[in-house]
Amino acid sequence: MSYEYLKFGKEEKDFIAKIEEISGQNIYSCYQCGKCSAGCVFSDKMDITVNQLIHLIQLGQKEKVLKANTQWVCSSCLTCSVRCPREIDVAALMEAVREYSLREDYEKVIISEISKEALDKLPNIALVSNFRKKTG
Amino acid sequence: MVQYSYFPGCNLKTNAKGFEETAIAVSKKLEAELVEMPSWNCCGTVHTLTSDNIMKRIAPIRVLSRSRKHVETLKESPNQVVTLCSMCNSTLKIVNNEVKKDQEILDKINYQLEEDEETYETDMEVKHFLEILRDIVGYEKISEKVVNPLEGLKISPYYGCMLLHPEEAKIDDEEMPDVLESLVESLGAELVMSPLFKFCCGSYHIVDQEDIVSSQVEKIVEAAKRRGANALVVACPLCAYNIDQQQKAMARNSVGKSPIPVFYFTQLMAIAMGEPVKINYFNDHFINPEPLLKELGLIGRKKAK
Repeated sequence: MSYEYLKFGKEEKDFIAKIEEISGQNIYSCYQCGKCSAGCVFSDKMDITVNQLIHLIQLGQKEKVLKANTQWVCSSCLTCSVRCPREIDVAALMEAVREYSLREDYEKVIISEISKEALDKLPNIALVSNFRKKTG
Repeated sequence: MVQYSYFPGCNLKTNAKGFEETAIAVSKKLEAELVEMPSWNCCGTVHTLTSDNIMKRIAPIRVLSRSRKHVETLKESPNQVVTLCSMCNSTLKIVNNEVKKDQEILDKINYQLEEDEETYETDMEVKHFLEILRDIVGYEKISEKVVNPLEGLKISPYYGCMLLHPEEAKIDDEEMPDVLESLVESLGAELVMSPLFKFCCGSYHIVDQEDIVSSQVEKIVEAAKRRGANALVVACPLCAYNIDQQQKAMARNSVGKSPIPVFYFTQLMAIAMGEPVKINYFNDHFINPEPLLKELGLIGRKKAK
């Protein structure tokens, strides 16, 4: 069995505070029951599951959190939020992680790179919601 | 005749025209007329889940404020804005709920709206058209207006996420809803229950992660077909687009898969109530429902006579 030593200093605490500020949630409410991941319809497409991501946030592991695809696979369907036994708005935590990246001059979707045909074809509801979630 | 201030939202003017026109036609027939509000704007489609971004909350409040003015000009209209799109429904309801609870956010938003001489006083309710049909019109009245029962259609309701989530915006029980089920039955169609009735279709991932949507749609459609459904009914233009368009793409890739058409609930009502077929805009669908409807004798009969 191998162990990994984690640093838990100012940087980590600042990250947690920022996520809590954006989401308005108390990250330590989560007791890792895993109901969010069990009910998530996208769990099979995530490299780490929702409760694992929350655990990493609790530990302030910013790099690992931002590297995950979990928050970008989440489509805010809110199934986790309505089912959480601790009444955490889990989707708001995913949004907070997305926003954390987006507010630091990062764009998940670069609009200029989408082809004209795609823009013509796609309904406006898809474009508006996508850009609201994935561009800063 | 009650009139409702109706907020269309972006998609009902582009690729969901059939949704809007059929809804307006049946609303007149049921004496709960939808009247489009003037100078509306996009509600933002998705509600921001952040606690600190007020900017993204201005658009829905502007809609509510303008709808409030519109109500004054209508007959017997309650202070309600009615939506057809489930994403509009959820966005407007959540923000309305937030400003009702938080005066500080409301003040900040009203400060912005002042520029356009508008203000919102939290005196509006947001309703989805399905709620009006269930609570005000009633299924009995709907059945009475049916002249062309949808016999032969085996319909599986697909709610998607935004009709049932979150707590503040849901129109029915989030785990055991029955509003679409009761509606389908009151139109004389056969009901097919699928366990994936709220299995997210992938939503806005269609823009940059199409593979996610296609895998979701495959599961949703398979679950419904395996239980004998020959059509799906939805209330969200984005669910409709994703399921419809992805089925077409899948049918192209693998031979043998038979796609099933996707209806808006108002289209089914319009067919059952004998409205003209052209208001359904079936040409906008990727999987044209007309062959199925003709096969079942639900459309095109009158011409034959």
